[in-house]
Amino acid sequence: MATTAEGFDAHHDYGHDAHDHADHKPGFFARWFMSTNHKDIGTMYLIFAIIAGIVGGAISGIMRVELAEPGIQYLQWWAQFMGGANDINTALHMWNVFITAHGLIMVFFMVMPAMIGGFGNWFVPLMIGAPDMAFPRMNNVSFWLTVAGFFSLLFSLFVPGGTGPGAGTGWTVYAPLSTSGSVGPAVDFAIFSLHLSGAGSILGATNFITTIFNMRAPGMTLHKMPLFVWSVLVTAFLLLLALPVLAAAITMLLTDRNFGTTFFNPAGGGDPVLYQHLFWFFGHPEVYIMILPGFGMISQIIATFSKKPVFGYLGMAYAMVAIGVVGFIVWAHHMYTVGLDVNTKMYFTAATMVIAVPTGVKIFSWIATMWGGSLSFKSPMVWSMGFIFLFTVGGVTGVVLANGGIDDNLHDTYYVVAHFHYVLSMGAVFSMFAGFYYWFPKMSGRMHSELLSHIHFWTFFVGVNVIFFPQHFLGMQGMPRRYPDYAEAFTFWHQVSTYGYYIMAGSMIFFFVNIAYALLAGKKAAANPWGEGATTLEWTLPSPPPYHQFETLPVITDSMDYHDHRPATA
Amino acid sequence: MKKALLALAAGLSVLAPMNVAAQDSVPAAPVAVDAAPAAEAAAPAPAASTYTPMAPTKGKGMPTSFEDDAAKSITFQDQYSDNGEYALWMHDRILMPVITIISLLVLGLLLYVVARFNRARNPVASRTTHNTAIEVIWTIVPVIILVIIAVPSITLLARQYETPPADAVTIKATGYQWYWGYEYPDHGGIEVISNMLDEGEAVRRGEPGQLAVDKRMVVPAGVPLRIQTTASDVIHAFAVPSLWFKMDAVPGRLNEKLLTIKEPGVYYGQCSELCGARHAYMPIAVEALPPAEFAAWVKAQGGTMPGEEAAAPAAAPADAAAAAAPAAAS
Amino acid sequence: MAGKVNHEYHILEPDIWPLVGSFSALTFTSGMVLSFHPDLFGSAASIVMWAGLAGLIATFFMWFKNIVVEAERGDHTPVVQLHMRYGMILFIASEVMFFVGWFWSFFDFALFPTALTYDAVAGTTTSLFGQEGAPAAAFIPTGMEVLDPFALPLLNTLILLCSGTTVTWAHHSLIHGDRQGLKQGLWATIALGALFSCIQAYEYAAAPFGFGGNTYSSAFYMATGFHGFHVLVGTIFLGVCLYRTYLGHFTPRQHFGFEAAAWYWHFVDVVWLFLFVAIYVWGGWGAEFH
Ligand code: HEA
Ligand code: HEA
Ligand code: CUA
Ligand SMILES: [Cu+2]
Repeated sequence: MATTAEGFDAHHDYGHDAHDHADHKPGFFARWFMSTNHKDIGTMYLIFAIIAGIVGGAISGIMRVELAEPGIQYLQWWAQFMGGANDINTALHMWNVFITAHGLIMVFFMVMPAMIGGFGNWFVPLMIGAPDMAFPRMNNVSFWLTVAGFFSLLFSLFVPGGTGPGAGTGWTVYAPLSTSGSVGPAVDFAIFSLHLSGAGSILGATNFITTIFNMRAPGMTLHKMPLFVWSVLVTAFLLLLALPVLAAAITMLLTDRNFGTTFFNPAGGGDPVLYQHLFWFFGHPEVYIMILPGFGMISQIIATFSKKPVFGYLGMAYAMVAIGVVGFIVWAHHMYTVGLDVNTKMYFTAATMVIAVPTGVKIFSWIATMWGGSLSFKSPMVWSMGFIFLFTVGGVTGVVLANGGIDDNLHDTYYVVAHFHYVLSMGAVFSMFAGFYYWFPKMSGRMHSELLSHIHFWTFFVGVNVIFFPQHFLGMQGMPRRYPDYAEAFTFWHQVSTYGYYIMAGSMIFFFVNIAYALLAGKKAAANPWGEGATTLEWTLPSPPPYHQFETLPVITDSMDYHDHRPATA
Repeated sequence: MKKALLALAAGLSVLAPMNVAAQDSVPAAPVAVDAAPAAEAAAPAPAASTYTPMAPTKGKGMPTSFEDDAAKSITFQDQYSDNGEYALWMHDRILMPVITIISLLVLGLLLYVVARFNRARNPVASRTTHNTAIEVIWTIVPVIILVIIAVPSITLLARQYETPPADAVTIKATGYQWYWGYEYPDHGGIEVISNMLDEGEAVRRGEPGQLAVDKRMVVPAGVPLRIQTTASDVIHAFAVPSLWFKMDAVPGRLNEKLLTIKEPGVYYGQCSELCGARHAYMPIAVEALPPAEFAAWVKAQGGTMPGEEAAAPAAAPADAAAAAAPAAAS
Repeated sequence: MAGKVNHEYHILEPDIWPLVGSFSALTFTSGMVLSFHPDLFGSAASIVMWAGLAGLIATFFMWFKNIVVEAERGDHTPVVQLHMRYGMILFIASEVMFFVGWFWSFFDFALFPTALTYDAVAGTTTSLFGQEGAPAAAFIPTGMEVLDPFALPLLNTLILLCSGTTVTWAHHSLIHGDRQGLKQGLWATIALGALFSCIQAYEYAAAPFGFGGNTYSSAFYMATGFHGFHVLVGTIFLGVCLYRTYLGHFTPRQHFGFEAAAWYWHFVDVVWLFLFVAIYVWGGWGAEFH
């Protein structure tokens, strides 16, 4: 007992050898493979997300090219390329593998790592005035588990999955297609991919909640916290409470597949619909997990470039809380056609539509923030304004789908595909690009080209709308989703959609050129390149910030509010 | 003593390889549950015991291409059931205007602030951050809009869930990888196996490729149908867009819903739940006939009309019957 | 900010274990997949799984060792301890949601049952779904006996409740500087935990139904099995605390490692109460007992 550290309250010096200088960085290997630094981990998440985005975007290209015409054009080739047999069923199976990989990669390995792992890691500590995350080592395991999950998904592509190589279950992994319907290890690998990245996300969520609750700079009350931090806080709670249910559900898939349990196997009394309940209990909160950090970023950006505090701050914060809470009780709107009884369907119809109200509060508050402002249309701002419009379009088609009786026609058609790409490939992705252009100078210390980012915006805007708007038409005409081939009558709008893809793909060139340009030849970025509208704490630091920032904590005084965290003298 | 035996068995079963139990026993092939024939006499005498597949009408019960009719290609298919018409009305007259107006309102406001509050025109930003009145308005107005949507929406649901009358014609659709089977428990247990026609054959018969099938699901028009769905392997979904009808076919479950088709015709649909490699290749073709011709079709399949004595031995192989059917019915 | 650290947070050195742990986890899960498919990968493939498991165990060991070293070194300032409290509470919250998934499926099966029959000799289940003259659907397949909740499960309930008090005894002793009481309390808790696990193992071996095959045994074994796994983890956690007690760790003021183990133990205890009431008592109500 005598040897214990009794009653200490300060640090022993030897614990801090490494950061005598705030900018002392470890060597290459230690820095990138053993990182405990939130900014480095955030950077790795962003790079990882960009790679995953390229992979997921390339797969969607394969899909769009195949869909440009009716009939099966290229799938046979792809099937053989992936090591499958040369027959039509293997080729058709490849389609299911592609959409599954595309969906999983975009959701779990692009949007989530970018928004939460990337921007969240970088800017939550900076915005609340903390030196790092609460659990720096766990932060790193979150990242590497995400990478491990990605590998597991890649493995699945090259092993048998039933009718050919790969897991062809859709990103929803519905039983019994994913159990008795897909023999072979591919689906097992895909399931473990979700286990691994899910574990990473749960640990990450724990880390964010703890950081946000305990490490805010002195004086920064919850109600003075930037909205981006609020959004990550709500998101982290959704992750923490939703992901474990998914973990249980996919564990049941595994035991049904390999150990003879019958959770979803009717031969033993099991129920395939139970899987859907468990999946969507996670899945619906998941869609808000993908958009809430975007909401947060949009709030910061709109305020910055309007030179005006966010309108209705408390309403904005609590709208996100409301969306998060209500998001847990609407899941069965994905299951309107499974044979729910009428009362259940009425309840879920009503509950789902309720979410339009807090979301509307956010949309209108953003516009009200701009109202009376002095707007400058820098790249983050145009992406944000694009977000507001396109997310609204995606949101209102969600309200159409929310009507159980209407969804009887639209469910599992391209209308749904159009809906969720408007909120994801435009909502979430536009907010990511907005955030990227907003914070890129801060993260890299270099300015990107405003011209290139504006070209990127306009071409991307046109491209994705040409891709996805016609998909509403296809869906209403009855084009089912997850089809590699279709009736002649659908050809025209599919063709248009594929042309849109080419525009979008061309547009991405500007993005990559812009990054390369900025890193190689970009102007040095000032601490605050965006002017007086940028008032949160990250702009008080140099660009890029020192390796360890806030070694003396900033103090938020009573005279500062949620909007303005700049010290009076700065 | 029994207990001891069971204990032994249990002990053994623990030792047994874990995966033998479940995977082997495939779901017992679903057997018709309600074979009770509806007490009903009205079915008119069959006109003739012949049946030829009805020729589909272009643009009816099938998607329309942009080239054929641009305006029709961007909206729902025409509806041929009461609930479908109601739903279409609700979409076209309520939902579509509402979401268009909201989207345009947001777009308009954005364009307005761009024009009015850009840095050049408005160099000094205001500091307004609150306006209780406007915040209350933009909370309450959406609530009102949603309530307005909810009323017909709930009505629609209630109508879709009306219980089929006792004399409704029961058809049980079973999804298989990758085709459909249709059983007619009220009609002497006729069973129809429905496979997709390949493109060339479909075109030769004057039917849309990928939607045409060899044996259709034939039903009477204007009569309440009790559609039941189930599946034998994985989940499928029985969906016909022009009837506003979609119901999952889930192994181990029997879903049931009322459908009344307003007029004779051929209505195409497709499997609408991912079910494996050939998910895109298990279409649905519903052929609605005037009741008298339906009765003739039943005869031709070797079935019986409810109330009629089972004269012929039920369930003569549907294939053979149809293949033997000579020309021209109506 | 010229390099002098003026805050109480814990800024960590770079560390290799997150990387090692993640890829061990990947190796472990991949190895499991390989061993699920011996037809494709041969029966030796499970070696991959064991290698991954070894890596994981090494990671856990080193990771927690590092935390202990840092704690003893004095890095765990009050605010860092607060972080750990939050972290542990949130972790337990996520565990609760994990069990919600298992209970969800249990209640689904219990409330919306299918007619099944069970052949106790062969250990096979047959579904009577849609068959004419099938017996009324019941959660427990016709012909299957379940465990009598008021025999060993009740005993196990008492054991766990007891262990909840002994761990509190240990905690109070610790707070009052009574090292002997701490050791005794921990020893007692660990012994009770081990006893629980042994009884549970015996129950499994003697259960009148096999693993899987029908929804009752699937839900039963997976829910109680995951609970059992948590008991094991909790016992190990308490064991580590006991070992650390002998090393002289923990003070009346700072002993979060112990508290975390105690919280975890209480959580495991509460899950059992739900399992007992829901699955053993309510789920087996009216059934034939073994
Ligand atoms: C970022 C992701 C995201 C977001 C934010 C949303 C938001 C919403 N979604 Fe969406 N959704 C998905 C991603 C997302 N969805 C995905 C991925 C799927 C498919 C999954 C799969 O099957 O693979 C899906 C599917 C899906 C379905 C199931 C369709 C089907 O399979 O048949 C439904 C049905 O209710 C639905 C509804 C909604 C609603 C009501 C909202 C609302 O939150 C939208 C609210 C927003 C607005 C309404 C706009 C702004 C509001 C105003 C301007 C105020 C005024 C408005 C009114 C009064 C209406 N979504
Ligand atoms: C976030 C999610 C997301 C995103 C961004 C996309 C983007 C795209 N998706 Fe998809 N998609 C899904 C999620 C997503 N999708 C899901 C969940 C499904 C359902 C799967 C299933 O049925 O199971 C689906 C299904 C789906 C289908 C239907 C397939 C079918 O049903 O048969 C189609 C068809 O056209 C399609 C096309 C596209 C296209 C052309 C894009 C293009 O917009 C792609 C262009 C690429 C990008 C926009 C990414 C660029 C981003 C980066 C490079 C990273 C940048 C990083 C930082 C800034 C940090 N997707
Ligand atoms: Cu059957 Cu899709
Ligand atoms: Cu949803």
